[in-house]
Order: sequence, then structure tokens, then C-alpha cells
Amino acid sequence: MKRLTLGALALTLPLAAFAAPENYTLDPYHTYPHFAVEHFGVSMFWGRFDRSSGKFMIDRAAKKGSLELTVNTASVSTGENDKGSRPRSLDEHLRGADFFNVAEFPRMTFKADDVKFNGDSAAEVTGQLTLLGVSRPLTLKVERWVCKDNPFNKKPMCGGNASGSLKRSDFGMKYALPAVSDEVRLYVGFEGYRD
Amino acid sequence: MNELLQNPIVQSSALPFVVGLVAAALLLPLRLSGLAAAAGFAAAVMAIGNFALEPLTATRKIVVLGGAAALLGALADLAFRPTRFTGMVLGALFGGASLWAFVSILSQKSPLEAALLGAGLVAFTAWLVAATVSLHYDPVRAGAAALALGLGAGIASVLGASALLGQYGMALGAASGAFLLLVMVLGARVAAGTSLTLTASALAALIAAGAMLLAQVHPTALAALALVPVLVRLPLPRAAGWMQAVVASVYALVAAGGACALAWLAGRGWTI
Repeated sequence: MKRLTLGALALTLPLAAFAAPENYTLDPYHTYPHFAVEHFGVSMFWGRFDRSSGKFMIDRAAKKGSLELTVNTASVSTGENDKGSRPRSLDEHLRGADFFNVAEFPRMTFKADDVKFNGDSAAEVTGQLTLLGVSRPLTLKVERWVCKDNPFNKKPMCGGNASGSLKRSDFGMKYALPAVSDEVRLYVGFEGYRD
Repeated sequence: MNELLQNPIVQSSALPFVVGLVAAALLLPLRLSGLAAAAGFAAAVMAIGNFALEPLTATRKIVVLGGAAALLGALADLAFRPTRFTGMVLGALFGGASLWAFVSILSQKSPLEAALLGAGLVAFTAWLVAATVSLHYDPVRAGAAALALGLGAGIASVLGASALLGQYGMALGAASGAFLLLVMVLGARVAAGTSLTLTASALAALIAAGAMLLAQVHPTALAALALVPVLVRLPLPRAAGWMQAVVASVYALVAAGGACALAWLAGRGWTI
């Protein structure tokens, strides 16, 4: 009887391990928040933040999760960092008080603990985005979610792509409205390694 | 009309000029025409859509301090005749207030850097306010100084990559220009007082300092701007009031132009 109990316990151990909350740390070299805005109603203009950090937790059994993402706003980059004949480049302007105001607000954060699941995969993440000292709700749809072992170092990893949108005027970023659209599309490619 | 008010050039030039001119004319009997600068600036801030206090950012604190300067200036004009001592007291007051305006930026610097920047900010603001307020008795020189301080701070801000602060500065310059126009037409019976000199100098100092801390205006541009209340004291010709206003404006704009040139050169990689 004792052996049977131990055997049953041994069989359930992997399940219990699978059901436990898993914590991941975002890989800053493979996690890049991108944004896109409409310019003069003509083209979509793209940029990204080169430096970000954070962590996420996922509990597939309880269908729960959380995410904390911190973005270094001074790392904003559109690829347009050559002044040319102008006094300042676009990236320098984006770092100034008209847009990301990085001297006063060097970080943008997204903290979420409302995660919707589609089976075992995260499908939607809702939380608070804090930008320029203003916090507003933001929902990111997880369009791609993959968990596997890194093929080289064999560490367990999860990652994918998520997207959402916000109105920059909600955060007090009103410069160049409406020439540069109020709606900002967000696209985040992310990878995290299990702690 | 709404579309017109969304145009940045209208917001920072035509609108504050017209509002400033109307305010200066309406307040002439009260000897408070100097409030033209505050009225034009407030109109521009409203049109730009930044009349909010939450969150209280450095640029919004600049607007708050501009309002406080206008109120305090008008109060001083109505309550007593300002003296040289008044300028020093107001300079010290707004020098201290500049620390409050930019504390969120200074607090992120190393202690040494914050101390040096803070001391520089206080000295710059205190000097500009004290030296400009001491022109309160002379509407020609005060108007010319206010015009140059606004335009200098505004254009230098644009060159330093802050269009918002640039608009603020140019709006201040345009509204002060409206005051000066009234002086050119009506002469010395248009009083500048502390309502003009305090508002214009405090706002210009804070806009220029903001452009240095929040954007990339070089400190040497601020040093050049600090010469505006000095150069405007150069001798004026014995001529009609409008001619004196033109000459005083040229004196003041030399310093303001120097500030803009230094902001431009620093942007091109030029170093001292």
C-alpha cells in the first residue's frame, strides 16, 4: 500500500512541477518594443527602443500570469540620427520635451497581472502603461507564443510577439497633433529565460 | 477658425501678438499694459493645449510660475513703486523657484552635477529677473528687452530640439512685441512696470533653462541671453519714441541673436 502511494505520488510529480508558476526574465538582447505612427496621414513611421528589461510569470494550471516591462526611453531609435544640415536629428527631437521627455521621465513601464489564455498559451495581457508620469490601461494581444528550450544552451525559454495601440494624447504627448497621428501602434517582440 | 488655431505659427506669433495688443490697450488706464506679455503667453499655452496641471511636469511648472510672475508683478505695480531692491528680491525668489521647476530633472543627476546645475540655474534666473525688473521705469527698454528675451529663448529652444518651449518663447516675444508697438505709438504713457519685466524675464529664464535641461540648448546660449538686459541699457538717440524702440530692440536682439547662434553652433558640433 505504501509503495502504491509513493508510486502514485511519483507519477503526479511532473504534473505538479508543470502546474507551478514559472518565472522568466526578459532577454534584453531579444526584447524590443517597436512603435508606429502615421505621418501626415501618408506613411507609417517606425521606431523602437533599444534597451528594455523585465520579467514575466506564467501559471498554466491556474491560468494566471503577470508581466513587468521597463523601457529606457532615451534608447528611442528611428534610424534617423544624422543631423544632416539641421541643428538636431529626429531621434534627438524624440528624446526632448516634445515627445518622450527623457530627462524628466527616463523610463516607461508596463505592469500587467491580467492575462487571458488560449489553451496553455498567453493570448492577451492587460495592465497599466506609465508614460510621461501618466498611467493608463493598455491591452496587448499576444499573436505568437512559443515555449521551448534554447537550441544552444538548452535553457527553457518562452517568447513571441504582442501588439496593441494607445492614444499618445492620453499621456500628454500632444506635440505635432494631428500631423503625427494620435494613435500609436505598439509591437513587442520578446524572449525570456526561465529563472 | 479651429484649424487656424492649430497652426503652430499662429499659436506662437499671430495669436499672442493680437491678444497682447488688445490686453495692453485695455489695461492702459490701469497702467497695467505690461500684462500683455502674460495674456499673449497664456493664449498661446491654451491654443497649444498644455493648460493642465497633472502630471505637474517641468514645462507645466514654467506656465504656473509665469502666472505667478504676472500676478506678483501686477500686485507690485498696484501696491508700491518698485525699487532696485525689488528686482533683487524678485530675482532671489524666482531663482529659488527655478529649482522647484526643475527638481524632477536635478534629482536624477549625481549630487555634484545637481549642485552645479542648480547653482547655475538659480544664478541665471536671479540675474535675468533682477536685471530686467530694474528696467521697469523705462517702457522702451523694458519692451525691447522682453521682446528679445522671448524671441531669443524661443528660437534657441527650437534649435535645441524643443518645439514646445520654442513656441512658448516665441509667444512671449510676440506678446511683448505687441506691448512695444503700443509704446511706439503712444509713447511713455504706456507703463511697463514689474507686470511686464517680471513676467517676461522669469518666463524667458525658465524657458531657456528648460531647453538646456530638457533638450540640448548649450549653456553658452543662456549666458548670451543674460546680456539682453545689459545691452538694452546702451545710449539711445535723441529721437522719436518709435526710433528709440527700434534702436533698443536692435541692442537687445544682438544678445538674443548671439544666444541663437550659439545654440545653432553647438548643434553643429562646435565646442568652446
